[in-house]
Amino acid sequence: MEYILTVMVLIGINVILATSFNLILGYGGLMSVAHPIFYAIGAYCSGLLAIHLQIPVPLSILMGAGIAMVLSFGVSLPSLRVSGDYLVIASIGFQLGILHVINNLEFTGAAGGLTNIPVLNEGPSRSLVFVLLIAVVAACAVMLVGWIVEGDYGRAITAMRNDEEAFSALGRNAMNIKIVLFAIGSGMAGLAGALYAHYFAYVTPEQFGIFTSAALLTMVVVGGAATTWGPLVGAVLLTTLPQAITFLGLPVSIMAPLQGVIYTTLVIFFLFARPQGLTGGTRGGGGLEAWSASAAFRARRDAE
Amino acid sequence: MFEIQNLTARYGPLVAVNDVSLSFDTGVRMGIFGHNGSGKSTLLKCLVGGVRDISGAVAFDGSPIVADQVHRNVMLGIGFVPQVQNVFPNLTVEQNLHIAGSKSDSSFLEEAYALFPLLRERQDQFAGDMSGGEQQMLAVALALMTRPQILLLDEPTAGLAPAIVKNVLGSLSRINSELGTGLILVEQNVLAALDVVERAIVLKGGRVVFDGASEELRAKEDLWAWF
Repeated sequence: MEYILTVMVLIGINVILATSFNLILGYGGLMSVAHPIFYAIGAYCSGLLAIHLQIPVPLSILMGAGIAMVLSFGVSLPSLRVSGDYLVIASIGFQLGILHVINNLEFTGAAGGLTNIPVLNEGPSRSLVFVLLIAVVAACAVMLVGWIVEGDYGRAITAMRNDEEAFSALGRNAMNIKIVLFAIGSGMAGLAGALYAHYFAYVTPEQFGIFTSAALLTMVVVGGAATTWGPLVGAVLLTTLPQAITFLGLPVSIMAPLQGVIYTTLVIFFLFARPQGLTGGTRGGGGLEAWSASAAFRARRDAE
Repeated sequence: MFEIQNLTARYGPLVAVNDVSLSFDTGVRMGIFGHNGSGKSTLLKCLVGGVRDISGAVAFDGSPIVADQVHRNVMLGIGFVPQVQNVFPNLTVEQNLHIAGSKSDSSFLEEAYALFPLLRERQDQFAGDMSGGEQQMLAVALALMTRPQILLLDEPTAGLAPAIVKNVLGSLSRINSELGTGLILVEQNVLAALDVVERAIVLKGGRVVFDGASEELRAKEDLWAWF
């Protein structure tokens, strides 16, 4: 039972992460892969505040999310100057740079990780209560993103994603939208990290590397980029699938690479066979088709 | 009134516009012509602050045009229609117009539909599904939603069939005569554009090599030698 509850906690955390990543990458079209570093910032800052300053855990969780939100400027500011492939490179640099710092600081636990993080709640029903809490937070995250992308502001985000030059030519400021998307998305990732830290009581730098970026990207692509429910579906599927594989009883030397192979295969399959993801429909309904509509649109116009 | 003084624009080591000085009223109908790479699109972008690396000065009605601040500059009363990707393909026609109008006055929607009745018929259609000519119409309508005094258009007839070219240029003439909105066109289709504009500028190597009446340019027997 405890195992199932732990998997449910992981699902909830991944739903928050994938949903917030979808806000930046799917809806905003901002090609930053540094999302896990804000997950790390939330986890480490919240953990360190609770350990060293004895700040109450609920408050340290909120502070961890807030710090992640503020540090999102580290990626949103470069995004004002660079986009596409260059933003991917800048964001990888930011991610690896922060991880390098965490890996080499004594008070973060360095490569060994941060241990003895105070847990949020204790008692015989600890995991069940935490599952309920994380379910509420994940539902709020999905609803918040759904609310942001609806209405005038959502259409402005879509227009900015379609074409920044045309958007600016209408007197609209793309810079503000980028900063807001990164701040909200990163703050949500920080919240997920803080919740993780105060449930498992232990975090290590290797949890927040490029492999986690790939996993989150897979969740968004498989579920359906720029859709409300896609990241939720992707997170549930791609959290339970690796857990299910463990029951095959394969040797550890095969298990770890197998997970990577599954993620890669799923991304390639969906890119070619179902770019709208599992939940995406038409272009207006989201998915990679919506995400990349500008490119297809440009190609059609050039051909005319 | 636009005033350009000693404007030089660069892309890295490449000088695209070289020491250009011009002035013109907001109600002007002007064409900027030149061969590929002559700097005409760059000059147009400079008028709205779309080029980062510039020297010299550009001012509109006394207000300086700040480089890299397109969203602020257009609110001075300058409409800008980029050459391609000038509509939002994932949004419907009406949603496109709302995006454009939300910074100014969305009541102008009805006026946009009056100018381009076809857009009302297509209001629920995704912009990306429209033909090139229809998209160009929508792009002009979007720029008009900001209620500009002058409209800058970068090759508005690029890639369009001759009949559609006539339609688009006819719409632009109507906008000028009915709304009093000035027009600055960058065009490869020189002869068609000369029917619409009253003043012509020819650029070569980033420098102005001709500045005069459109009829004067049309009358030049060696017209094509300019391009």
